[in-house]
Amino acid sequence: MKKIILFISFLTFGMSQSGVEIAQMVDDRATPKDMTSSTTMVLTNKKGKTRTAKIFSKSINNNKKQIMWFLSPKDDKGVAFLKIEHDDKDDEMRMWLPAFKKIRRISSKKKGDSFMGSDLSYEDMSSREINENTFTRLDDELVDGVDCYVIEAVPNRDLRSSYSKHKTWIDKNLIMAVKEESYDRLGNLKKIKSFKNELVGKYRVMAGIFVKDVQNNHTTNITFDDLKLDTGIKANLFHEKNLKRLPRN
Amino acid sequence: MGHPIREWVIEKTLKHPKRTIVVSLFLTIMMASGAQYFVIDDDMMKMLPKNMPSRVAWDNVMEEFGNTDMVYVTFGIRDEKGINPKMLSSLWDFTRALEDMPEVEKVTSITTTERLDSEDGFMEVSDLQYTRDLYPEEVEDIQNYLDNNENIKKQLLSRNEDYLNVVIQPVKKAPFDVLSHNVKNLGNELLSDYETQYGGAAYITGMVPGLIRDDVAMLMRAGMLIMVLILLVNLRSVAGVGMVLMTIVLSLVFMLGFMGWVYRLTGSEKFLFTMMNTSMPIILLTIANSDGVHMIAKFFKELRKRRNTQEAVRVAMDSLLIPIFLTSITTSAAFLAMVFAPIEQMIGYGISISAGILWAWILSSTMLPALISLKKWKMDSKAVTHASIFEKGIDILAKQVAKHPKYILTAGLFLVSIGGFGVTMVEVDVNFSSFFKKGTELRDGMDFMEEEMSGTMDVRVRVEGDIKDPENLQSLIELQNYMEEEPKVGMSFSIANMVQQMHKTIMDDDPKYETIPDTRGKVNNLFTMYSFSGDPDAFESLVDYDYEVGLVTAMSKTLHTNEILTFVKGIESYVIESFPEGLSAMVTGMAVVFRDLVFLIVKSSLISIIVSIFVIGGIASLFFRKLHWGFLAVVPLTAAVILNFGFMGIFDVKLSHITAILASIIIGVGVDFAIHYIAQFRRYSRDRSKYDNLSRKVIDDVGYPIVLDAASNMGFGALLFSAFVPIQYIGGLMVFAMVSTSLGTLTVLAAMTELLKKKIIEQ
Repeated sequence: MKKIILFISFLTFGMSQSGVEIAQMVDDRATPKDMTSSTTMVLTNKKGKTRTAKIFSKSINNNKKQIMWFLSPKDDKGVAFLKIEHDDKDDEMRMWLPAFKKIRRISSKKKGDSFMGSDLSYEDMSSREINENTFTRLDDELVDGVDCYVIEAVPNRDLRSSYSKHKTWIDKNLIMAVKEESYDRLGNLKKIKSFKNELVGKYRVMAGIFVKDVQNNHTTNITFDDLKLDTGIKANLFHEKNLKRLPRN
Repeated sequence: MGHPIREWVIEKTLKHPKRTIVVSLFLTIMMASGAQYFVIDDDMMKMLPKNMPSRVAWDNVMEEFGNTDMVYVTFGIRDEKGINPKMLSSLWDFTRALEDMPEVEKVTSITTTERLDSEDGFMEVSDLQYTRDLYPEEVEDIQNYLDNNENIKKQLLSRNEDYLNVVIQPVKKAPFDVLSHNVKNLGNELLSDYETQYGGAAYITGMVPGLIRDDVAMLMRAGMLIMVLILLVNLRSVAGVGMVLMTIVLSLVFMLGFMGWVYRLTGSEKFLFTMMNTSMPIILLTIANSDGVHMIAKFFKELRKRRNTQEAVRVAMDSLLIPIFLTSITTSAAFLAMVFAPIEQMIGYGISISAGILWAWILSSTMLPALISLKKWKMDSKAVTHASIFEKGIDILAKQVAKHPKYILTAGLFLVSIGGFGVTMVEVDVNFSSFFKKGTELRDGMDFMEEEMSGTMDVRVRVEGDIKDPENLQSLIELQNYMEEEPKVGMSFSIANMVQQMHKTIMDDDPKYETIPDTRGKVNNLFTMYSFSGDPDAFESLVDYDYEVGLVTAMSKTLHTNEILTFVKGIESYVIESFPEGLSAMVTGMAVVFRDLVFLIVKSSLISIIVSIFVIGGIASLFFRKLHWGFLAVVPLTAAVILNFGFMGIFDVKLSHITAILASIIIGVGVDFAIHYIAQFRRYSRDRSKYDNLSRKVIDDVGYPIVLDAASNMGFGALLFSAFVPIQYIGGLMVFAMVSTSLGTLTVLAAMTELLKKKIIEQ
């Protein structure tokens, strides 16, 4: 039914959608209730040296609640991370340090900081709320032969974003982002992100992200494998006590 | 009847003087046109041989951790608190502007420093100064944080906390000269309200070459003026002096053009004009002057006797073409010996100066006589009719040498033996602060930083092993403690300090946890936690990406070369005795590399001195067809070299890469004097009627141009007024070298030839 509505909307509005309407379309796209994945994160620094981490993660509510356990490298095995986004208060982030046997809170003030030394910040990993940004539609473009909408999102001032704007290319057919450029507060290009999408069951979901920090010449390549959707993950999993032990599946 | 080639040169020159002059000028202009490709390069790093072990180690460190030589800027108002809103705003502007410079990799100041705080047990990493304009309570918060973190405070504030420090890390292979000038210009623009000082190895090495060259260029002009005045007083002929000067200037532009052309055609960096080449113009000046002075002095002497210009020029040429050719060949060969030097610039130096010397020979042998022959000389002028002051003095010396050769030789040998004793006292030092006189801007800046900061000289230890292993981290802390035992070391830092600080922070800021954790897992958890809040590149100057190589840095006040030697040796011994298995270390840094470089230069200078002496002796033996002439040719210059280094040892003049080049000047000029003497000695010895008064005749003939040449070169005593101590030494030693080489020839060599004349004169 949602697909039909989308199709009708597309026919009705044709080329006339505004930036915010396109953003809304992306936001309204059907997403799974929960997701389980094995993630591989490869960091490459400016000298070409790499570090690889394997993470097992579970999330619900379009990643608003997420828990992840580090499987490798050996040094990081057992470290775990919990994130819970709130609409009415600061997000919660906690981590488990197995060697110290301590759970530590991560400040939500630090959303511009790098996540685990990657090129993704907490802000990049959080949902982009439509009412917290101003969207403008730019001229459509082709990305690798795919016809795309191009929209610009400028975060509202009170958001204290670490970015001045984002420029996003959205696949017109899939209504999913395929590429994004993020600009720092001075307006200089900071990151280029490329997204890989995949059909899993009835959903089109993100299967990989490649991020390049053009200012630091550092890259992060994330791939999501063994994607399992709508498996009925319970909300009570997202509790700090569950950080301490790796689930069986 | 002379040699057919000599006869041909004399014939062609004197028959077609105008053609000779035009061809000489044309060829000089052709070569001088290469001056448009002549490049001055103040990058001292290019002087370092790429395969020198400490350079290789240093390059590796720079490859892993970025440039290790910093520019330090400190600014403030004496006795006023440095941490205040206005100064922090200025610091913010200065830091941000520095970060925009292409030559700058990283800036460390309060503006860029991250603070570690414990919040609910989480290690919160945030900016120490988060914005340009701060409220008073925010400024106080920064002060409090630094008060609680003394080691960080030492890096960011002066001893009395009235000056703020900025440490600038250049990008790899940054041209330090460009960087230093840009930093200073920026400081002048943004920090004009404060007292600002600049320092650090990168700054000094960036600024020094240009400053030295400007200083030497200015003093060289003064030196040339004195030289011209001395020549004028003695020759009493403006035209005569002008002709000598023309020969010198044309040789100089020829040499610079030659360097330009070779650089243009080969692209070889050996032919860039670096700080090392600063002495080239002085050396060529003295040598070209020598050729010209001998020719013009001989001409006047003959003109006085013969009253005929053409005849006088002909005799002067006949008498001097061979000696000038020989002196030029031997001196060029001595400089060409530098092609075996380990420093690339010395190879270009040797080849280029040899080209200049050979051109000076051609001009002195052709263009100069041609010019002399064209001039209508007044036969009643004092230059022709009267002997000069030096000529009269020489006559007295000639009598004494002929009368008391044994005494003179004994006195000479005695002096040389004192010199030989002094040589054992020579010390090598390349301490940059001792390069500058007190009161000069650079020296004042360096002294200020020595006094106010924890140190601007860094000694780096590259450690290799598992850097996350607690035992290894503890070893780094202990190594730092050992290094800090050196009184001049103000502080040290390594990744181990960061681990201690993170440990304390995660344990709710409890000071008893400012230690290395007991397990590798805990160390790793600290780094993991940091990666959840801090900049992933924050540790890149302390440890490599794989945590396999770390860098321990000790900041020290200026260490003299001997102190560096002892310090490095101590660290190396400590590492062997105390480091656990699997952890190795190597000491490096600019101080260590420069120490090796200086030893290399001194060693190669000594080798080239010895090689030069043998080459000169060999060529002289070949030309004079007897081994003993070769031996005698090198006696005065060998004696002068011994006296020079002995003098340095006795009067505590340090041997550095700058003072070491003086030996080249001594050899270049000293050989000229000896060969002129021997050539005339042999020439006169063929005339049996002059046998009894042989030495007196020879001294009388060549003594005047030798003394005049030496005296005019003493104009370079003007270098004594340089702002740079080594250049002052060169000025002083230059005067000494001229006296020792000229007197050495006219006394020791003269006495030896007088005593040995029965044996050495060919039957």
